Amino acid sequence: MAIGGTKVNPKKFHKNQIPFYLYLIPVAVFMGAPIVYIINHAFKPMDELFAFPPKFFVSNPSLINFRNLFQTAAGSSIPISRYIFNSFIVTVAVVLLSIIISTMAGFALSKMKFKLKNTIFEVNNLALMFVATAVTIPRYLTINAVGILDTYWAHILPLIAMPVCLFLIKQFMDQVPDSLLEAAQLEGAGAFRIYWKVILPLTKPAIATGAILAFQSVWTNVETSNLFTSSEGIRTLGFYMNTLSGVGTVQGQGMAAAAAMIMFVPNLLLFVVMQSSVMNTMAYSGMK
Amino acid sequence: MASKKNKRNPHDKRRLTKRKLREWMYGYIFILPWLIGVSIFFVYAMVQSLRFSFSNIIFSNGITFNALANPWDNYASVFMKEINFPITLANFGLGLALQLPIIIAFSLIIALLLNSKIRARSVFRMIFFLPVIIATGPVMQQLTAQGVSSVPMVSQNTLLGILQGLPEFIYQPISDLFSSLILILWNSGIQILIFLAGLQKVPSTLYEAAKIDGASGWESFWKITLPIMKPMILLNSIYTVVTLATGGDNEIIQLIYDVSYAPTKGYSYGAAMSWIYTAVVAVILLIVFLLLREKSDRRVKYETKRPDLKERRQDA
Repeated sequence: MAIGGTKVNPKKFHKNQIPFYLYLIPVAVFMGAPIVYIINHAFKPMDELFAFPPKFFVSNPSLINFRNLFQTAAGSSIPISRYIFNSFIVTVAVVLLSIIISTMAGFALSKMKFKLKNTIFEVNNLALMFVATAVTIPRYLTINAVGILDTYWAHILPLIAMPVCLFLIKQFMDQVPDSLLEAAQLEGAGAFRIYWKVILPLTKPAIATGAILAFQSVWTNVETSNLFTSSEGIRTLGFYMNTLSGVGTVQGQGMAAAAAMIMFVPNLLLFVVMQSSVMNTMAYSGMK
Repeated sequence: MASKKNKRNPHDKRRLTKRKLREWMYGYIFILPWLIGVSIFFVYAMVQSLRFSFSNIIFSNGITFNALANPWDNYASVFMKEINFPITLANFGLGLALQLPIIIAFSLIIALLLNSKIRARSVFRMIFFLPVIIATGPVMQQLTAQGVSSVPMVSQNTLLGILQGLPEFIYQPISDLFSSLILILWNSGIQILIFLAGLQKVPSTLYEAAKIDGASGWESFWKITLPIMKPMILLNSIYTVVTLATGGDNEIIQLIYDVSYAPTKGYSYGAAMSWIYTAVVAVILLIVFLLLREKSDRRVKYETKRPDLKERRQDA
């Protein structure tokens, strides 16, 4: 038995690591390939874009697609910086508000007792499944009735209550041990203090994941610009990129490739900033 | 008197004590902002769309509700007249049945690999999570348009050649599966993350104890890892079904969108269709839940097993 015990925790993993790499590396390459492709695609000149069979790597990188994109943008009455500014405001507001709202609601649903709790969670699950297309017109009517049509609020308010976000965050909070909260309560911490000092730090990975989901849903959203706004000056970058690349011309293809890359650069930046908190899952954040 | 009664039976649920009320109040305070948002933009909107689906609405200077001869007309015509709908729905169901196990198994395997002690672990973790960041609307459009989302041509053709003999309704979803395999794997980023979080909570002493008892890695996967991961598998399955069912590249969503804004069919018709679709998704989720939920007796078993294992380890 004692001999078996020494085997349990080998200090060196040299040989054991090899099979893991054998699996991981091919799959990683397989999954990473499209990302490399998108970047290469944006820099392809016209003849390479339409080459058949399509080439994976660009052989004569050029900025012509980006130039076309910005030229078309310069031709329109509203400068592209305006769209960027709009997108920035809307995105920051939605991500912050939706995180605050979902963590608060998640805390209540996961750790507190009150009447109608389960009903509320069921409502969330129903909203989770519902087809967004079917609620766009009722949403339009609501926004019109509230009188926020054609304002920033029309971009922000419909998106801040994200059912998926709440669902994920609530499930993570379920795993925070109750004893931790009881201990905090014994020390005299109130509900808000527990929320701020215990719950939020412990569910950081879930919050970061939720933030990324919220970011995505708002950053590439074209629907709010399309339906809830009518003046061009209030629309977002995602919408603008969509209209530019939607032009069915030969140039449009290249511009679409460039636009796709421009749209995903902020995603990448956000991920690099957040990655430590996303990846450091529960074990490192003081939970058993 | 009241306090005495309360003391005797502190868990009496029907009694409204002051403390309970205070606890409720905090619950409501915390849930309120979310509740307002959801009531206005989801619940109210959903109720409206339900109303729309039972009438024929026309938009011109506001909305006019035209009553239908039979309130269920829209629903009936979805089934009777819309040929595409049942077919697309069936395809979606089949596709889901194929994709869900693949995504769950794939993300569990990747999470297990990423949880093992290897070098450059964080780099791999990033690569597998990266698709979640990048796979947004315009990028995805580009990828599917360029056909990068499929397995390289050669292997795809060989594989499909083998399957050629199968009947059409089996062959079709499988070939679709191969043509979008990368996209499916790309959908696993969040799932991998959730599994990783779960795996890191499994106490390593459990595995050590099992090893001393002579369990192989394979056995401890089935007897320790899998039972502990069961709630995570359920969570992931639900999340996967929901994202697949409501994602923008879903054919049914596209169909509903087209129908809703088509001049001949109209919004009420689309609303009826989305309610049918929601019901179908709800049924699928219910099936998933019933299949994967944690049975209470099994849980008890696992919990009694644990101290048992620990004891033996101490003995050794």
